[in-house]
Amino acid sequence: MYALIKREIQDHIAYFVGAAIFSAVFIVISVSLTHSKGTEDPSIFAIGLGTPVATVVILGFCAMGANQMYTDKNRKISAFLSTLAVSRSRILLARIITGILAILTLLVPLAVTAVVLSHLSNPPIPMYPGMVLETFTISFLMAFACYCLGLLTGWNSSKITPTLGGIVLTCILVPLIFVKGFGVHIVVILVLFIIASLLRAWHTFMTTSL
Amino acid sequence: MKPLINYPVKVFATGFVVLVLLSLPLLWIRSACETSLIEGMPRGAGYVSITPSRLVPPELENDPNVVSHSSVYGGRYTREPLSLGIADYFRTRKPGGRRSNVYLFESKGNWMYFDKKSGLIVHYYVDVPILPPIPQPGRINRPMQSVQLYIGPEGVSETQDKTLGRFIDPIINRRFDGERKLTLYDKKLRRFFKIDFNQRTIIKGPKLKKDDPHKPVQIGKLSKNTFLLNLSWQPPKIKATDEDKNEKGPPKPIIPTDDNRDAGPYLLVLDKSGRIDLLDKETLEFAGTAGRLPAPQTYFPSKDYVTPRDLLDYQVLPLALTTQFFKDPEMVRVAFGDPSYSPERSPFKVERKYLGMFAASVSRNGTAMALAVFDEKGREIKIYSKLTKQQRGRTTSVRSSKAVFFETPWAPVFTIGKSLAENLHPPILSVASYFTASAFEAASGHRALFFLPNSFIAMKGRDYRGNFAERFISGLWLILPSIILAIWLACRVSKDAVVFGLSENARLYWIIGTIAFGLTAYIAYRLTRLKITLVTCQNCGKMRRPDMAKCHRCKSDWHVPELIPPAWRVLNGTEQVPEDSAADAEETVAE
Amino acid sequence: MNDNVIVVEDLVKYFDGRCVLDGINLKVPRGCIYGLLGRNGSGKTTIIRILLGLEPPTRGRTFLLDAASTELSAELHSRVGYVAEGHNLIQNYRVGRLIKLCKDLSLQWNDEFFNHLIETFRLPADRRVKELSIGMRAQLNLALAMAIDPELLIFDDPTLGLDTVARRQFLELAIELIQQQGRTILFCSHILGDVERIADKIGILAAGKLVVDCPLEELKERVKKLRVIFPESAPPNLYLTEIINQQIQGREMVITVANWNKQKQTVLETFKPSSCTEIPMSLEDIFIECTNPNPVLITG
Repeated sequence: MYALIKREIQDHIAYFVGAAIFSAVFIVISVSLTHSKGTEDPSIFAIGLGTPVATVVILGFCAMGANQMYTDKNRKISAFLSTLAVSRSRILLARIITGILAILTLLVPLAVTAVVLSHLSNPPIPMYPGMVLETFTISFLMAFACYCLGLLTGWNSSKITPTLGGIVLTCILVPLIFVKGFGVHIVVILVLFIIASLLRAWHTFMTTSL
Repeated sequence: MKPLINYPVKVFATGFVVLVLLSLPLLWIRSACETSLIEGMPRGAGYVSITPSRLVPPELENDPNVVSHSSVYGGRYTREPLSLGIADYFRTRKPGGRRSNVYLFESKGNWMYFDKKSGLIVHYYVDVPILPPIPQPGRINRPMQSVQLYIGPEGVSETQDKTLGRFIDPIINRRFDGERKLTLYDKKLRRFFKIDFNQRTIIKGPKLKKDDPHKPVQIGKLSKNTFLLNLSWQPPKIKATDEDKNEKGPPKPIIPTDDNRDAGPYLLVLDKSGRIDLLDKETLEFAGTAGRLPAPQTYFPSKDYVTPRDLLDYQVLPLALTTQFFKDPEMVRVAFGDPSYSPERSPFKVERKYLGMFAASVSRNGTAMALAVFDEKGREIKIYSKLTKQQRGRTTSVRSSKAVFFETPWAPVFTIGKSLAENLHPPILSVASYFTASAFEAASGHRALFFLPNSFIAMKGRDYRGNFAERFISGLWLILPSIILAIWLACRVSKDAVVFGLSENARLYWIIGTIAFGLTAYIAYRLTRLKITLVTCQNCGKMRRPDMAKCHRCKSDWHVPELIPPAWRVLNGTEQVPEDSAADAEETVAE
Repeated sequence: MNDNVIVVEDLVKYFDGRCVLDGINLKVPRGCIYGLLGRNGSGKTTIIRILLGLEPPTRGRTFLLDAASTELSAELHSRVGYVAEGHNLIQNYRVGRLIKLCKDLSLQWNDEFFNHLIETFRLPADRRVKELSIGMRAQLNLALAMAIDPELLIFDDPTLGLDTVARRQFLELAIELIQQQGRTILFCSHILGDVERIADKIGILAAGKLVVDCPLEELKERVKKLRVIFPESAPPNLYLTEIINQQIQGREMVITVANWNKQKQTVLETFKPSSCTEIPMSLEDIFIECTNPNPVLITG
């Protein structure tokens, strides 16, 4: 399994590098926002950071999922790997773990920065208890949901379906955060959505011809 | 390559993904239509006013110098009629917000919050000593000092102490008293508390019994969403007197009106049922009823009584008359509200009289308003929920909700758009919306994804007219296009299932599922249907599945006419001739 | 343990409504070298892909090493070496990286043997796979398949693109493997000379059916090509069954018959031919006869 994950990471290293770069950029933006506006009003961060983060999430992780499946199908990578001592389920699991790692590469540094900044600049009272955890958990779930949509749309010989289909579907999904806000409801919806889309992607990958 | 999940799981998984991805664009369409209707409402439909307000003592209201009578005005802002969840999330969690445990926060060093872990209210402030007006030589003035107090049900202390007890679920009066007093109610402890920060004391009110009908949800400043509704009151105004001849200006209030509008000797307490009670500030006991939240008249009228959950916004404005007696009898001061005073000019006696209250509310979908006036005994004097309009010289009134659907520019387009978006929703969820119409909190109703508490059918569910059967059938009429669409799609699914050889059970489940879930189920069916190219059966001429051993229509075996294999075989070390070829050869040789 | 390493039962495969395999039944016993032959598009690669679980069958079942092809575990895959048609490797990987990946993913790896092969084939580790020639890719594919010490080898046209010397090397390697007990090979190739050299059993696919499935020597015994000269014009119908091919020119008839036996001999003799001589056939000749789409041709 480690060899498969390592292979996926090496093949899609660009997404990890991109995630790290975006994370660094967003950290710089959040530090400068904190310096100029303080952290008393987190909605400033929601607007100032939320929009670019949402864009990265929509485009980046959906593209990653779609790209992983598209390159596999067209370069017949799984067809080759399946003839080795590897099962299809492990190939897909390694792929999904890689996607999760890429998402964490983007979000974990941001979350740590948010916690540190809020500790440094807020008074010693629980101004927004649990907000960092809530927002980043939901951001992670949304990014993962977009990634799962990429997995669903990417298994295609044509370039148009994964590209357009993925973008359209993630553009439909991501505004769910704006509709529902950060709360228990959206967590439930996203978790169920992720489970359902993973089941569907799993079934497709396991039964398709390689 | 064996599928790890069975067919029903695959169907449900696909169906859920489709449901979410289909519900979101429909939600945006519905929101766009609802927002357009609200924002386009005629101006007159967005406010209600009552003149005179009926709470001012007659000697003031009917003063001969009065040029304009008192009025109460309730108007709706259209800036953000239906707020997004993310905006609501941050807004309600800001200090002072509905969901924030931080009641007060000033960056200069004054904050108050509820610490869930310890169960104490923590108040930090900077104690600035009050200096005498004339500096006194030799007097050592106390320096400023920061104070942090911990308040529990059993006392107030500067140190955190378990003997202070624990609050569990406090609701505080978010209108802070200038005299540094705070009243709160703990839902779990079921009693009121009054905290005096200066004296550092806490007074407990009597504990409410478990079956007590009082279920407070808000105390003091009663409002839900200050961004939507504006309730204001104007006192009677008098013209400038002869003494003011040199002053030319607008009419001025007959007596001063202070911004601190509380209920005099009482505190207003909003109950879960929508009733508003009076709480005696001194004894912390209920002292009667102040009134109720008024029910806006929606297009399908709901019951006369509404709860706070049923309203998108409400505001309550009490009215009190305060008389302050000073040592100088000529300095008696009468004002509406509760004017504060400096310590060096404090009156020796203050009389506060509660006059009544005004209550305004906005309906669940933001289209209807109501304004009510209650006297000091809680009797409803006046309720107004209609739009007055002039038509052919006559003044007529129409419900503001009706004005939305007929008077607003482009109203039919948006109303039909909203109805169409609702009819593309799964019928079963629409029917469930009928039954769960009141279960959703009004402020989040327009954000609901699967159940639609703001839909027409849900409005019908809240309609109190007629019996259950009449209301239900009327509700079904509202989603008739959805039902027709579902039945049509179910027919298509049924035909397709026959062509693709689904079993009778599977076909039946799909028909039922498509009737229940409409377009969502149809899309799920198309996505989960076996992706196989059908071939023509040589026996019956219809399309059949190649993965089935026999034709699912005529039950005949397979023939592959396009392949013509040779009649001979050389197999497995023994002579084996295909049966047909062997029979032909024997006949031929015999001949 | 089943004696048959590969079992195919009533296999049917459709591609977009077009039938490619129409009820294939096949068994490959342990230790056998099975040559699976057929024209282009006859379904050889399809059978192999279905066996390896890369393609789902439309109907029927296939078993590999006692396990259903749809449920092959990673451990079972480690016992099978596969050289695909077209040498499906990860094209943009460098050779060294590909080797490392295969080594990391395998459960057993014969380093010594593999290095010996790499040195023999002289494959550069730093070059990308797509930059290798077809022959070098074939050699790499072969080396990777053999390095895991497989119990079953499946070759799908493995010598495609190899030059004569490389082909010979491959065959010798295959023979070396054969000599190791318990190895089974399923071998598809268009170079029938190579198949004839090493195969024990032959299978020939035609029109979606397995028309031949028997040992090579037996095949040569059972399929006969005869030149028969008749005193007068050759009769149009000899009333013989299982005629693969028949060509009549005047008094001469050249006939290819399957499952030649005494009964058929007797039937032929009733027509009192002037002479009847057997034309020896190689495997290639038999294959051409069996897959010729026009079994009866009368000229002259």
